[in-house]
Amino acid sequence: MTLENEEIGNVESAVEIATPKWKNVWLIYAREMRDQLRDRRTLFTIIVLPILLYPLVGTLLLQIAQFSHEYPMGVCVVGNEHLERLPALIDGESFSEGLVESKQPMELVKYSWNEFENRDDLATASEKWVRDGVYDVVVILPPEMANALDPTVDVDEARATEATSDREPNISPINVNVEVVFNVASDQSLVGRDRIAAVISRWRDRWVSRILTSRKVDASLLQPFGVLPRDIAPVNVREAAFWSKMLPFVMLVWAMTGAFYPAIDMVAGEKERGTLETLLCSPALRGEIVWGKLAAVTTFSMMTAILNVGSMLVTSTLVFRQMSMGANGVFTAPPFIPLLWLIIALVPLAALFSAVALAVAAMAKSSKEGQYYLMPLMMVSLPLVLLPLMPGTTLGIGTSLIPVTGMFLMVRALIEGQYGAALMHLPIVFCVTTGALLLATRWARRQFESEGVLFAGGEQWEFTQWAKRLWLDREPYTTPMQSYFAAALVLIALFFGKLAVTSMPNTFAGIAQLIMVPQIGLILAPTLLMAIICTRSLRLSLRLVIPKSPLALPVALLLGITFHPLYVLLASWVSAIYPISDSAATAMKPFAEQISAAPWLYVVLLMAVLPAICEELAYRGFIFGGLVREGAGLRAILVTSVVFGISHGVLQQSISATCMGFILGWVSLRTGSVLPGMLIHVTNNALSVSMGRIAEWDWQGIDLFIKSSPGGPEYQPIWTVIAAGLTFCCLFYFALMRTNKESFFGMVFPGLSTVASDSKLARLY
Amino acid sequence: MIDVVDLTKSYSDLQRGTFVAVDHVSFQVGPGEIFGLLGANGAGKTTVLRILSTVLKPTSGTVRVRGYDVVSQPSEVRSQIGFVSNNTAIYDRMTATEMVEFFGRLHGMARDFLAERVDRLFEQLRMNDFRDCPGSKMSTGMKQKVSIARALIHDPPVLVFDEATLGLDVMVARNLLAVVRSLRDSGKCLIFSTHIMSEVEKLCDRIAIMHQGRILDTGTLDQLRSAHGEESLEELFFALLSRHEATPDGSIDFLVTDSRAFADTHNLENSSHAVVSEGSE
Repeated sequence: MTLENEEIGNVESAVEIATPKWKNVWLIYAREMRDQLRDRRTLFTIIVLPILLYPLVGTLLLQIAQFSHEYPMGVCVVGNEHLERLPALIDGESFSEGLVESKQPMELVKYSWNEFENRDDLATASEKWVRDGVYDVVVILPPEMANALDPTVDVDEARATEATSDREPNISPINVNVEVVFNVASDQSLVGRDRIAAVISRWRDRWVSRILTSRKVDASLLQPFGVLPRDIAPVNVREAAFWSKMLPFVMLVWAMTGAFYPAIDMVAGEKERGTLETLLCSPALRGEIVWGKLAAVTTFSMMTAILNVGSMLVTSTLVFRQMSMGANGVFTAPPFIPLLWLIIALVPLAALFSAVALAVAAMAKSSKEGQYYLMPLMMVSLPLVLLPLMPGTTLGIGTSLIPVTGMFLMVRALIEGQYGAALMHLPIVFCVTTGALLLATRWARRQFESEGVLFAGGEQWEFTQWAKRLWLDREPYTTPMQSYFAAALVLIALFFGKLAVTSMPNTFAGIAQLIMVPQIGLILAPTLLMAIICTRSLRLSLRLVIPKSPLALPVALLLGITFHPLYVLLASWVSAIYPISDSAATAMKPFAEQISAAPWLYVVLLMAVLPAICEELAYRGFIFGGLVREGAGLRAILVTSVVFGISHGVLQQSISATCMGFILGWVSLRTGSVLPGMLIHVTNNALSVSMGRIAEWDWQGIDLFIKSSPGGPEYQPIWTVIAAGLTFCCLFYFALMRTNKESFFGMVFPGLSTVASDSKLARLY
Repeated sequence: MIDVVDLTKSYSDLQRGTFVAVDHVSFQVGPGEIFGLLGANGAGKTTVLRILSTVLKPTSGTVRVRGYDVVSQPSEVRSQIGFVSNNTAIYDRMTATEMVEFFGRLHGMARDFLAERVDRLFEQLRMNDFRDCPGSKMSTGMKQKVSIARALIHDPPVLVFDEATLGLDVMVARNLLAVVRSLRDSGKCLIFSTHIMSEVEKLCDRIAIMHQGRILDTGTLDQLRSAHGEESLEELFFALLSRHEATPDGSIDFLVTDSRAFADTHNLENSSHAVVSEGSE
C-alpha cells in the first residue's frame, strides 16, 4: 500500500480552474436523483404507493357501492288504515305507483294505529326503531287525517247540509301533520327522510288535485307553468367545473408531500449520515449544492404530483364508469389541454414547495427531527391550497396577489376556458410566484451558508441553563431571535385581545379604553418587558437615538405631512380592490361619529401620539433593532412591515399599514433611530383623524389642499401630485444622508465611533 | 503551503455562552511535511481543519493554502485540498467507483482522464475487489479507503486528515498511516490531527499541541522533548497541560515562548515570504 511519486503524477493540467457552474449543478442533481431512485422507501412512497393506492381505494369504493346498492331502505308506515277516503298512499306492499321515483328498493312495513296503546307508546317505539336501525324512517299518519278534508265531498252540497244538519262537514283544511321520524346521525336515515318527504309531497299533490277536480276546478291551474333548467356550458366545461377544483387541489397536496420527504433525506438525512460535510468540502459551491438539490426535490415533487393525479384519474374514470355515474357527463376524464396547464403551473409551485421544504429541512439534525417539522409546514401551506376551494373564491386582483392561491385560481380559470381573465391576471400571478420563489430559494441558500444551521451540535436544551444564558449574555441591543419572539408575542397578544372585545363601545371613554389597552398593554408592555429582560440598554434596544443628521427629524415631519395624501390614495385603492363589507362599515360608524365629536386634542393624543409611540417602539425599535443586525436591512424592513400590517387586524388597513411600514422601516434603517419614524407615524395618524376639522378651517388657503366632498374631506389632486414630489424629495434626502450606523455603533462602542467618523471626515475634507 | 496566522473562531453555545473554540492559533506547514495536531477531544483541532477546508469561516485571522485565502478564494482552496475526516462519510447508495468519480467530476476533471486516474488510485489503494460495492455494504476499512481515494482523486498538494484513524481497527489504521507516509514522500503537505500519542510519534515531522483552542507549543518531537525535559510524548503533553492550567493567564507566557521557539526553529520570516511568492505566481 504505497504510493510512488510518479504514480500520483501531475493532474493539475487536467483540473479546469474555471468550472462551468451549471455542470456542477447538473452533477449534483444527477447524483441526488440516482440516490433517491435507489432508495426503496422513497420509491415506495412516491411511485409505488400512488400507483397501488388508487386502484385499491377504487376497488374498495366499488365494493361499498355494491353493498349500498343492495341494502334496501327500511320504511315503517303507521296508521294507513285511516285513509280509506283519500287517494291511496300504499298499494299492497309498496307505495302507490308513481309516488316513488328512485329505483332504490324500499322495504315497507305497515302498522295500524291500534297496535299501540297510546301516542306515547307509539312515539317511544318509533324512536327506538329508528335509533336501533330497525327502520330507517318511520312515517306516522295520525287518525285526525281521517277527519281531514274529504276530497269527494261536493262543496255546495256540503254547504247545504250545513244548514240542516248538526254534523260539521269537513270543507276547510285542518292542521294535521304527518310525522317523519328519522335520525340525523345515520346517513341511510337521512336519505330516507328526503325520499319519504318526496313521496309524501307527491301524494299530497294527488290529494289536492282530487279535491279541486271534485269541486270542478281545473287541476292544471295548480301548475300554470313548468321549469326547464338548461345549462348553457358546453359539455367539456361542465366536466371541467368538477375537475378544475379537484385536480389542482390533489396535485398541490401531493406536490407538497412529494417535496417534503426527499428534502428531508437530502439535507437532514445527509447531515445524519455525515455525507453533507463531504459534499461541503468538495469544490461544489454552496449555491451549486442548493440548486442541484432543489432541482432534484422539485423533480420528485412534480413526479409525485403527476403520478398521483394520473393514477387517480385513470382509476376514478374506471370506477365511476363501473358505478354508472358517468351518465350525467360529470365523471369522465378531463380534457387533455387543461391537464397541460396544470402541469405548467406545477413547475413553479413544486419549486416553491421544494425550496421551503429544503430550507426547513436544513434546520433538522436528523431525518427523524425533520419529520417533526413537516406538520407545522403543512399547516402553514394548506390554507393556501384550501382557500381556492371555498365557494365564491374567484380569480381577482386580490386573490391573485396571494401566493399559490393565485396560481391555483388562474389554472382553474384556464381549465374552465376563461382565457381572458387568466391572461389579465397572469402578470400579477407571475410576479407574486416569482417573488415567493426567489424568497424561498434565498432562504434555502442562506440556510446552506449558515454554519449554525449546518453544524449545530446535538446539545441538550435545558431551561435553567437557557434562562441563565439569556440573562448573562444580554447584549446592549436585540438579537434576531428575540426580535422574532417579540413580534410573535405582540401578534398573539393582539389576537387574544381582539377576541376579548365583544362589542363596539359607543362612548368616547369606551373607545379610548379600546385603543389604550392594546396599545399600552399588548404592544408596549411586552416590548418593554423583553427589552428589560433581554438587553442591557433600554435606550439602545428601543433605538432611542438622536439621528446624527440635524435635518433628519424636520425632514421626517415633512415626509409625514407630504406622504399622507398618498396614503389616503393608497387606502382608497385598497378599499376599491377589497371592498369593506357593509356590516363592518356599520360596525365602525358609531366609532367614527364619536371620534369626530370628541375634543381634537384628545383624539390626536389617543389616535396619533399613543399608537405612534407604542407601535414604533415595538416595531421600528425593539423588533427592527434585532433584525437589522448582520447587515440584513431588507429582512428588518420586510418583517417589521408585515408584522405592523398584521397587527392592524382589518385586511384593508393591514395592506396600507404594510406599505406604510416599508417607508417607516426604510427611514428607520437610514437614520438608525426610532424617532423619525415616530414623527412620521404621529403626523400621518394626526392628519387622518383631523382632515375633516382641517377642511372646516376659516382660512381661505386651505382650499388649495383639502376640499369637502359628499364622501368626506378629500385632498386636492394638485396637492396630491405636489405632495408626491415632496415625498420623493424627502425619501431622496434619507437615501443620500450618511447612514447612522457609525453613531449607532458609537453608542455601543464610543471610542470606535469617534475614530470611524473622524477618519471619514478626514477623508471627506 | 499552509499559512495560518492568528486564527480565532468563536461560537455561541447554550452551556458556555460565547465560546472560543480556536484562540489565536498560528502555524505553517510546508511541502513534504506531516504536521501533527495533537489534542484531546474538544481542543479545537476539528474546527481549525474545517476552517482550513473552507467548510467553516474564521471569526478573525487569516488562513492561506498555497497563497489562496480561505475566505475570499474558497473554491481555489478546495481544489488544493483533500479532506479526510471522521465526519466525511461516504454515500450509502453509491458504489466506490461512482463516489470517487462524482467528486472527480465536481473537481472538473475530464471524463477519460478521470477514468484512468480512478483505475490507478484503485490499483494503488487495492480497492478493485469492491469497486462496485455500494457504500452501505462496505466494511469500515473499505469506507476509509473510498474516503482517501475521494480526497486524492484531484491530486491535491495539501491533504488534511482529521481524526482519520478514529474507530478503525488496528490493521486498517496501520494501512492508513502507511498511505499518509507515502503521500509525504511524494512531496505532499499533510496535516494530521489525532488524540493518539503513538500515531504522532510515529508519523509527524512537527507537532502542535492544542488545548482549549490554543496551541500550547509547537516544534519537532525532539525540540519539544528538549524544551520541556520530558522523554515521552505523553508525559510532555500532560506537563504542558498542567502548566497551562496552573498559569492564571497562561496564554501570554506560552505565546511568548511559543513564538520565540517557533521563529528559532522554522524561520518564520522566510517561510512566509516563500508562501506569498508562491501564491502570487
